[in-house]
Amino acid sequence: MTTRRSLTSAVETPPAPPLPRDVPPGINVVKTHVVRTFSIDDVPLTTCRIDPTGSYVVAAAENFHIYRWPLSGPQSARTILHGHNSWVRSFDFSADGNWLYSGGYDDRIGIWPLHDPKPSPQRMLVAHDGWVRWVRTSPDGRLLASCGNDNLLKLWDTRTWELVRVFEGHKRYPYAVVFHPDGKRLASFDLMGVIKEWEIDSGKVTRQWDAKFMWGFDKKFRADMGGARDMRFSPDGKYLAVAGLTEVTNAFAGVHKPMVLLMDWESGEFTKKLKLDTRGMAWGVRFHPDGFLVASGAPSGSLWFWKLDADKPFHTFKLTGGGRALDLSPDGRQAAIAQTDRKLQIVQFTGKTA
Amino acid sequence: MQRDHGCHRIDHSLSRRGFLASGAVAGVAGLCTPGVAKEIDKKQKRVLQVFLQGGVSQLESWDPKPGTLYGGPFRAIPTSVPGMHISELLPHTAQRMHLLSIVRGINLKTNSHHDGRLFMEMGRRAGEFPYMGSVAAKYLMPNDAPLPGYLHVTTRGLTDDTHAFLDARYGQLKLAGHKVPDNLLPPKTVSNDSALRSRALLKRLNTRFAGRGGQKSFIDSYNASFEMAEKLMARRALFEGEPSGQDLDRYGRHSFGRNCLLARTLLENGGTVVKVTHHGYDTHAENFNFHLEQLGEFDKTFCMLLDDLHESGMLESTLVMIYSEFGRTPKINVRYGRDHWGSAWSIALGGQGITPGAIVGATNTDGTEVSDREVDGGHLFHTYLQALGIDSTEYHTLGGRKVPIGDPAREPIGELLA
Repeated sequence: MTTRRSLTSAVETPPAPPLPRDVPPGINVVKTHVVRTFSIDDVPLTTCRIDPTGSYVVAAAENFHIYRWPLSGPQSARTILHGHNSWVRSFDFSADGNWLYSGGYDDRIGIWPLHDPKPSPQRMLVAHDGWVRWVRTSPDGRLLASCGNDNLLKLWDTRTWELVRVFEGHKRYPYAVVFHPDGKRLASFDLMGVIKEWEIDSGKVTRQWDAKFMWGFDKKFRADMGGARDMRFSPDGKYLAVAGLTEVTNAFAGVHKPMVLLMDWESGEFTKKLKLDTRGMAWGVRFHPDGFLVASGAPSGSLWFWKLDADKPFHTFKLTGGGRALDLSPDGRQAAIAQTDRKLQIVQFTGKTA
Repeated sequence: MQRDHGCHRIDHSLSRRGFLASGAVAGVAGLCTPGVAKEIDKKQKRVLQVFLQGGVSQLESWDPKPGTLYGGPFRAIPTSVPGMHISELLPHTAQRMHLLSIVRGINLKTNSHHDGRLFMEMGRRAGEFPYMGSVAAKYLMPNDAPLPGYLHVTTRGLTDDTHAFLDARYGQLKLAGHKVPDNLLPPKTVSNDSALRSRALLKRLNTRFAGRGGQKSFIDSYNASFEMAEKLMARRALFEGEPSGQDLDRYGRHSFGRNCLLARTLLENGGTVVKVTHHGYDTHAENFNFHLEQLGEFDKTFCMLLDDLHESGMLESTLVMIYSEFGRTPKINVRYGRDHWGSAWSIALGGQGITPGAIVGATNTDGTEVSDREVDGGHLFHTYLQALGIDSTEYHTLGGRKVPIGDPAREPIGELLA
């Protein structure tokens, strides 16, 4: 199952996935506005993604369904994907955008043909002993990383869906795992704020940090609260951004502040601790190709925009509901936000006439 | 529905009296061997209360509704009772549900920690009445009981005046978790002889105080405190030493595991009512992550205690209650939390006098209201006492006055009584 074969060196270099490198003209986040609203009837949304080709946006909710809309389509073009029997926490796609991968609290990863008129799962893979909290595709598309409530990270071969490597080391739930853009390393972040860098070929931890400021122990209730709610490398691999919380004073009442941590990955320094002066959580974060960070938060419902060298947001856009997840369109002009008010908002970072 | 973000209520604050009492006594030692346990008088009825403080979610425990509007992410799993399902967060408990029963139709008509707790403990919505634990101690505790009648193992102090108008010796004595107690030995400077003389002087002063019109309850309260302290000092070996590695492996090395080991020791050594509180269910935010943690800790530990009671033969004479002050809202708030909810929730009971493997009552599809066999704290109070063989329709006698033991407007849940 986990024989030590190289997972990175023998891999042919495939065509680069469509990363949002080319800055489209007309980006002006101060003029951000809603261009489309998709919605569901009954429960809040939990997460969302836009596929790498920009064809579809998918969302999950506090039910067992996955919802798919054409990114530019009408609300009525909604398709519901059935297969999980718990909430879906995380999505990713194959590099070509043909496959959707979903990580669920039913311990399973769903593999879906994204472009089918009515997608049904090609496979529901029992991936962890406990919730699957995160899935992320490797830069070359050949591997899928997952993490779950068995405190493990796992790597899956996306052609055969065989388990190719298990990474042990987190003592508490790992909340997120991502590939470094070089394809040779993973980064993971757990409940206690422990960040680990893993070498994929050896399966070993090569570096580790303690981001305790993104964790809190509630002495009254004797419980830990922390963990990454989103995690992203910049396309050049220089930075890692982590969305989460800080200053936990009453975990059980949700009294804490949103935080986005910006790390210089090569030096390992915590470059910026971007704390928001409001109650809640940062649930989504992305590096925009224009060189700024954008994050979503709840329950207040905001999009925050920072320049990478600044401590305060240069712009805040109010959402109609709490922003639980965020993703950018491939051209960087639009973002999808999964909200607590049952809406999937598509916003555009340009003036209305652009 | 009431949302109480901080829950900074008086019942969360530390009581000075409770602190003094709990500061004086605490500790654990698994002294009772299985052989000794078998010798325990099975006619002596006991109570084990496991209080899940803050309000455990019924949807994440005894009344799961996966796939429904407010069902949450957790699945239901089958139990050792055919047709009975509980949350996947209780896999060990699920294997032992043939020893327990579930009451699913509780409606307290309150969402307040304070009011819900009092209703669940007193069986009355309002007024000053003794807690079920104090009532059970009054009617079950032998005259020569080696331990105080109502012991509460808890890592946090809640203000409880549990005995109300009953004699103070039936009041709850808090033990500060599993910590080795202070002050169970007399000061080195006080000889046995001087201690006896002090007690004699105290007795004379009490008599003189009463003869001059002093309140009897005042003296009784002090006498009860001395009596409890003396019992604990005489049984201090129960609180000394370290539980065995095997027990810690089974119960867990966390506070709740050690507190349950102390509860077992107390029950095995003559405790009449023993309450253990497991804190951390007031999950207004991150309900699912926190229930994963809290019930993960509760499940195996509680089952080890249940197994030990069962295997020693004590379970048949021990009423087991797993309860809270209320449940949690079906509706999930924007923080992934569930708020206070007394309108449609559940508890579990087992042991002495309880028909095992039963489900009494039901909630509707989305869990928003009771759909069958609605009961409240008054019904439950009668049920607990009747299961112990105490006629809850009788009266406490207070001088020339009679006070109904249970609320006369309520009756026991007959289907649950063995």
